[in-house]
Amino acid sequence: MTNRLSVTRKVKGATAALLLSSIASSAVAQDAIRVISHRQPALEYYTQQMIDALPEGRVSVELMPIDKQLELASITMSAESDAIDVLYLNDSSFRRFASNGWLEPIDDLWEKYQDEYDLDDFPQSVIDAVSFDGKIYAMPILTNTELFFYRKDLLEDAGVAPPQTMEEYMALAAQLDSARMAGTIMSLKPVDAALNEAHWYINAIGDGWFDANWKPIFNNAAGVEAITKLKEMSEYAPRGFTAHANDESTINLQQGLAAMGLQWFTRAAAMDNPEQSRVVGQIDWVAPPGGGARVANDGFAISAFSSADREEMFKMMAEAASKESMQEGAKYAMPPRLSVLENADLAQQYRWYPAARAALESGKAFPAMPDFNDVGEIVTRHILRAVTGEAEVQEALDQAAAETEELLASRGYYN
Amino acid sequence: MVRWQRGLWLFFLPSFGLLALVLLWPLSYAVYLSFFDYYLGSGERTFIGLGNYVDLLTEARLWNSMRTTIIIAFGSVAVEFLVGFALALALYRLHGSAKVFSVLLFLPHIVTPVVAALFLKWMLASNWGFVDATLLTFNIEPPDWLGDPVWAKVSVILADAWVFTPLVMMVLYAALQGLDTSLLEAAQIDGASSWNTLRHVIVPALIPAIIFVISIRLMDVFRFFDLIYVLTGGGPGTATETITIYTYQLGFRMLEVGKASALGVITLIVVAMLLLTINRGLNKAYRGGDR
Repeated sequence: MTNRLSVTRKVKGATAALLLSSIASSAVAQDAIRVISHRQPALEYYTQQMIDALPEGRVSVELMPIDKQLELASITMSAESDAIDVLYLNDSSFRRFASNGWLEPIDDLWEKYQDEYDLDDFPQSVIDAVSFDGKIYAMPILTNTELFFYRKDLLEDAGVAPPQTMEEYMALAAQLDSARMAGTIMSLKPVDAALNEAHWYINAIGDGWFDANWKPIFNNAAGVEAITKLKEMSEYAPRGFTAHANDESTINLQQGLAAMGLQWFTRAAAMDNPEQSRVVGQIDWVAPPGGGARVANDGFAISAFSSADREEMFKMMAEAASKESMQEGAKYAMPPRLSVLENADLAQQYRWYPAARAALESGKAFPAMPDFNDVGEIVTRHILRAVTGEAEVQEALDQAAAETEELLASRGYYN
Repeated sequence: MVRWQRGLWLFFLPSFGLLALVLLWPLSYAVYLSFFDYYLGSGERTFIGLGNYVDLLTEARLWNSMRTTIIIAFGSVAVEFLVGFALALALYRLHGSAKVFSVLLFLPHIVTPVVAALFLKWMLASNWGFVDATLLTFNIEPPDWLGDPVWAKVSVILADAWVFTPLVMMVLYAALQGLDTSLLEAAQIDGASSWNTLRHVIVPALIPAIIFVISIRLMDVFRFFDLIYVLTGGGPGTATETITIYTYQLGFRMLEVGKASALGVITLIVVAMLLLTINRGLNKAYRGGDR
């Protein structure tokens, strides 16, 4: 039996390795530390810091959309393959990977290098966010929050202030919507982007996702109202919004094809990049109307199946998360280090910081359960059925709640 | 059987061994896994007999994805057959330039489906995509190609037709090359119209090729994955979620390996039954019409 399992594992491992190698864009040295990450400006910066932290050729980085990255990581880790050494994880996926035993605890190294890398500089809330069952599993790299982006020139012309409630947001979207410019961006590409957008509505208008016993409540009257509002708001979204994720929404804002909407802090700097943006200096930010938009603490973790030197990998991650690195990285993402965050110059240097601080206070993280990504797969599918008119909102949410409950029961949540 | 022929079965062994390794073993393993509640995240397997099959067959999502698969499969194959046949007939009528046209028309099929899908995705992207930008220039409001449930299905069907019509065209064009021209001449002498010539001479002569190409395409379209995955990911909602996309969601996103294996087995059975039925139907229609 053991023999058969071992053969199975090897075959699965070989499959995962083959998958990974097939997407690799360049030949990778056998002993290189392989890092996979979501592609966005902040992570492009931090993965470059990892490459720079070790001698040339020692680190190979592959960047891809988050859904693809998580999929690849899941397949590789479930096969117990060492094809990936270090991976980027957001808070929800991190819990899933840690609970599955796919990540390497780093408490001993954290303690060993505490002084050298000034790791006490991370607030306890951030360390808690990268811990599971009392063990630290990831090096915090960025605190991310969603902001409300808006065209201040258009709002000034219309003589209105940035919206503070969902009702004001809807009214303004209707007012600014035209044939050439959408009233609002809307990112409803499953799973991650759609889940973020829905998270905001479910918290700002609804009562949240679950009760204290992990029973779904997103299909109650308030939840139905939230998704109904989301559906109504899609009237003012650009065509193709159901296939839009952060990249497409960022482009729509940069190209002046949409007037406002919810987008990540990490996309703020791109609005003022003259090489990409037609609206340099015209975008401003506030905390998302109604509150409840997503807040996340993301980091890099070491695979439990990695055959590379874990101390070397830890130092590589710690270098990328050093104070100096984060000072520079503050342009792309909110650094989780206290010393960097307390720097008064940041708000002057980067216009979006005051809004980000307000968004952190009013924002909300995903429910703290390892299986929320799987729940998200179910929920976003049904929300999109409702938004595109395949089903009524109540029917779609009831179906989503039933499937969610079935899934969570099978994973032992109600035992 | 003469004595020297008795040992010939040994020559069959290498190909059977290879087939067993790459086809029968994975298939048997999938059938085996389909009897387990197996979530890759926990790594634990619990034998549940036909539990996965019962779960799947009683849930609306499977039937919805089956319906979507049938719509997309028959839609694609219908477009491919009609356009491919028309193009094959047109090429057959051409003389000097037929080769040049056939090569040009075959180009979309040479491109890898994933690359073709990426190319089409950017063509159909809202606002800045080639199609939208062109229509907007003429003040024509384009539909939401990939975001509207109906248009998403249409886009997927057209995308598949764009890639595979050339294959259908080439198979039928090759079959037309073998057509006995004396039959066409006889029809002409008898004063048959073009439609009657097509209906009673050309189509019956091409039936074996038509059965072949429709069967091959249907088999392919039922396993249709890459184009949909890249173009719509099965969305919006479940508008383009075919059985293969659903299997993929179960296996690679939810990591429910047991259930995904069961769905794979169900797909295999459905496709085999469907193909047998279609083959029989076409054969019967051909023989009936020929009598």
